[in-house]
Amino acid sequence: MEPMLHKGWETVIGLEVHVQLQTRSKMFCGCSTSFGDPPNTNVCPVCLGLPGALPVPNAEAIRLAARGALALGLTVHPTSVFARKNYFYPDLPKGYQISQFDQPLATDGRVVFESPERGRVEVTIQRLHVEEDAGKSLHDRIPGKTAVDLNRAGVPLAEIVSGPDLRSPAEARAYLTTLRQILLYAGVSDCSMEQGSLRVDANLSVRRPGAPLGTKTEVKNMNSFANVERALEAERERQIALLEAGERVQQVTLLFHAPSGAVRPQRSKEESHDYRYFPDPDLPPLVLDAAWIAAREAELPELPEAKRERLMSAYGLPAYDARVLADEPPVAAYFEAIVAAGAEPKAAANWVMGDAMTAYNETGRFAVTPARLAELIVLVRDGVVSHQAAKRVYGELAAAGQGGAEPPLAVAERLGLVQVKDEGALAGWVDEVLAAHPAEVARFRGGETKLMGFFVGQVMKRSQGKADPKGVQPVLVAKLNGGS
Amino acid sequence: MSIGRDEVLRVAKLAELAVAEPEVDRLVEQMNRIVDYVAQLDRVPLGADAPPFLAGPGTVTLREDVVRPVPLARGPAEMAPEFAEGLFLVPRRGGAAMAAEAGSEVPEDDVPMDDPSEEAP
Amino acid sequence: MSGETVAPFTELARETGRRLRGADEAGLNAALHWSQPVLDAEAARAEALAAASAAPLPLAGLAVALKDNIVSVEEPTTCGSRILEGYVSPYDATVVARLRAAGALAAVKANMDEFAMGSSTEHSAYGRVRNPLDPDRVPGGSSGGSAALVAAGVVPAALGSETGGSVRQPASFCGIVGVKPSYGRVSRWGLVAFGSSLDCISPFGRTVEDAARVLAAISGHDPLDSTTVDLPPLQAPAPLADLRGVRIGLPREYLPADLDAGVRAAFERAVGCLRALGAEIVDVSLPHSPLAVPTYYIIAPAEAAANLARFDGVRYGPRRIGPEGDVRSLYRATRGEGFGPEVRRRILVGTYVLSAGYYDAYYKKAQRVRAMIAEDFRRAFERVDLLFTPTTPTTAFRAGEKTEDPVSMYLADIFVSPASLAGLPAMSQPIGRSEGLPVGGQLIAPMYQEARMLAAAGALERVVPATEEAR
Repeated sequence: MEPMLHKGWETVIGLEVHVQLQTRSKMFCGCSTSFGDPPNTNVCPVCLGLPGALPVPNAEAIRLAARGALALGLTVHPTSVFARKNYFYPDLPKGYQISQFDQPLATDGRVVFESPERGRVEVTIQRLHVEEDAGKSLHDRIPGKTAVDLNRAGVPLAEIVSGPDLRSPAEARAYLTTLRQILLYAGVSDCSMEQGSLRVDANLSVRRPGAPLGTKTEVKNMNSFANVERALEAERERQIALLEAGERVQQVTLLFHAPSGAVRPQRSKEESHDYRYFPDPDLPPLVLDAAWIAAREAELPELPEAKRERLMSAYGLPAYDARVLADEPPVAAYFEAIVAAGAEPKAAANWVMGDAMTAYNETGRFAVTPARLAELIVLVRDGVVSHQAAKRVYGELAAAGQGGAEPPLAVAERLGLVQVKDEGALAGWVDEVLAAHPAEVARFRGGETKLMGFFVGQVMKRSQGKADPKGVQPVLVAKLNGGS
Repeated sequence: MSIGRDEVLRVAKLAELAVAEPEVDRLVEQMNRIVDYVAQLDRVPLGADAPPFLAGPGTVTLREDVVRPVPLARGPAEMAPEFAEGLFLVPRRGGAAMAAEAGSEVPEDDVPMDDPSEEAP
Repeated sequence: MSGETVAPFTELARETGRRLRGADEAGLNAALHWSQPVLDAEAARAEALAAASAAPLPLAGLAVALKDNIVSVEEPTTCGSRILEGYVSPYDATVVARLRAAGALAAVKANMDEFAMGSSTEHSAYGRVRNPLDPDRVPGGSSGGSAALVAAGVVPAALGSETGGSVRQPASFCGIVGVKPSYGRVSRWGLVAFGSSLDCISPFGRTVEDAARVLAAISGHDPLDSTTVDLPPLQAPAPLADLRGVRIGLPREYLPADLDAGVRAAFERAVGCLRALGAEIVDVSLPHSPLAVPTYYIIAPAEAAANLARFDGVRYGPRRIGPEGDVRSLYRATRGEGFGPEVRRRILVGTYVLSAGYYDAYYKKAQRVRAMIAEDFRRAFERVDLLFTPTTPTTAFRAGEKTEDPVSMYLADIFVSPASLAGLPAMSQPIGRSEGLPVGGQLIAPMYQEARMLAAAGALERVVPATEEAR
């Protein structure tokens, strides 16, 4: 395949993603992981790094990390080892972070995603390992001071490292969207960038087609997927400009500055990191037997890719609908519940993607129970209410909420929205309309038959939408052609 | 194998230990003495690669995910050398550069590109 | 100790206080932190517990001193270091809770080599500890304060900690019993870490029985320490009447030609006692044991360099800030001035052996040799039930004799560090005197066979002339 070029350069991107594993307690101690508590209140001897304290790993964190690894197609290893990563920083209480190094929990996976430029692309996932988070340093809280909150210290994280397989900033963003979706599906993390439960560090280099890999830089401090894309675009331009000016790219870390959209080199690195990793002597190896790993695999829910395919094959939905519905597991589940309650799939999909989604996006939940919505869809199918009227009925149902007792048919009747099929009633409205528009009647009779639509519309209007449009036309035809 | 002054100073920097200048020569000598002594292991023939030795249990025992912290008889405020508004405090200067190095979160306004304080001492 | 428990606990607390004051006046410098009110409160608590308890408490009213690297809420924990000056832990070590539950008074903190790094207790920021038998000599280390308090009769028992022999070696120098359990037998929760893969809280007693009772009380699985083993609780065994059918190996590497003559004489006499008790004495070899000290001086400093990184002046302890006024100068001044010379040396060595380019040559290699040392023991224990060696190559040396050359100090641990690296239970008990100074004999047992070791030690204790000169 031809390399994808930007101004004659190929872009090579790899991402390191940290996600918070959604546990109640921290990775190595019994402190709460809850977000937003007063500073330094969720702390204990372990996460304060007090003398004599020892770590004990959280079983749920290991379970979630293994789930995430399996969902991303990685091989979970029967033995992995916790290691100490040594560096000094005020928000790192022990002077080392407990992580995994040469024996991570899982290696060698792959994620398929839809690249905006290349279609379906497979990214290798080199590794997923478990580690503890550091605390939070606040540099602007107290003048002249760095203030440290250790509530986050020890929160469990999975680090997911992709291969250098991404070829554009937009592709990096699309990969992140897919990765996030898989992790949400697997229930591994809530993946909220706002709350810091998903963080992205990006590595980028550029090269001429066919040339060896260029020097890479690391870009940090992006607070949304859109900003990951912006930051990588800025860094790509910076590197290309340097190389085209005959200069070299230095291996540096850059911070993204959102207001300007620029990346700012932190400083030239005076020395490379020397983290002095070694196995943590406080923690024997993490041993997971094959049956345990198989059980984690078996309990994985259907993943997005499989769900999309099933929505198309089982319900005959178009690809677009399947993608929208499979975006989040609750949406697809809602759709399937409506169909199970008797609604026609395409109509159900339209409702879910339309009115129902509006409420879901605003409140995080659906306003009408699947059974009620299915009843409403059946009323439309059977011609009991018009599609327009059904939207008003839906509004009433939504206002009453999921606890509302009134069925859709009762709502339609109360609002007088049930379609009138009675010929006598229809004839009455038709007569009124013909009497009110003599000129148009004359023109129709003179051969201008396209006015039929006008008359139907007028009848619908006069009946306030209650007239069954399928019944109106025969009555109109009879009256217009019958004279008098 | 011989350790020079630069090596001792490099290691002291990694370990964040101030070493007084008059102390350096003596430390160089003592570290060489120790490292030469432990280097006798170089003469030991080793067999095939083996898993690392473990004295204790071979497998880590996991903890249930329950919020149950070991209680503190005295809180952080009573232990900390400097503490305000519920937060541990350290001098700010030099902090931003270190944060970047350590991969910690840094507010973007905090890292001016030309702040001389970013250079580590 | 029998008979003491008859008196009310508060009177025991007062008596302990009087002895502590006497030891202080004698310049022993063995106790770092204690106060009569805290001792009295401990006694009242133990008294109430004993009254409420249906069964007699195993350590009722027993004052057990704690090495100052074992944290407790009531007294400071300084590890013999300036960097923890005034630090009081907000939580108790598991062993402290277990001692209290057994009825003991755990309120005296004993001096030690700074962060347990040393073999003479001369490396305490709070001054050297004197050997109660000869004040010009060292009590051994690093648990020299605990050993001296027991040897001087201030307390009947004490806890020390072992990383590479720091209880057996001072027990030998002070003429008392020191028992290192199997790694993982006693919880390290609340023991300030030095070399985490080696550290074992270990009791001292004046008799095998006292030390065994304390060990039984503190041992057992702890959910707060991932390296403890889940085994049935250790019971203090009754001493064996004789040692018929017991095969005891004498590893020849522990009897080098240059062994101190007095030590050799006492050791050979003790071997004679073992024979007289009916034990079968077998010559064995542990060919890699001579490599234990260099192996230890890679692994322990490497682990220590990481373990001591938390002492950074940010969250607790005293803080100093260098002239630059930034965070790094805070670290460097706090640590540079807070740690003493031996600790600084070991942090530097530990950092060096883990640093880029050296890891394989030192740390990884040392781990391999460690496995070979352990394998030697495993093979030997296919042939014998226990091993018997001198605990130390010499008797207690003079203060200042080895402080100039760190390596000469390290060699004081040449016979005790192999069992530490292998994680095995081992103990020292007095087996005689040489020029008035105690000589210790070391028993080493297979993993988790403390009961076998203690029962044999009890048998030897009854017959060996422990306070008599051997020639």
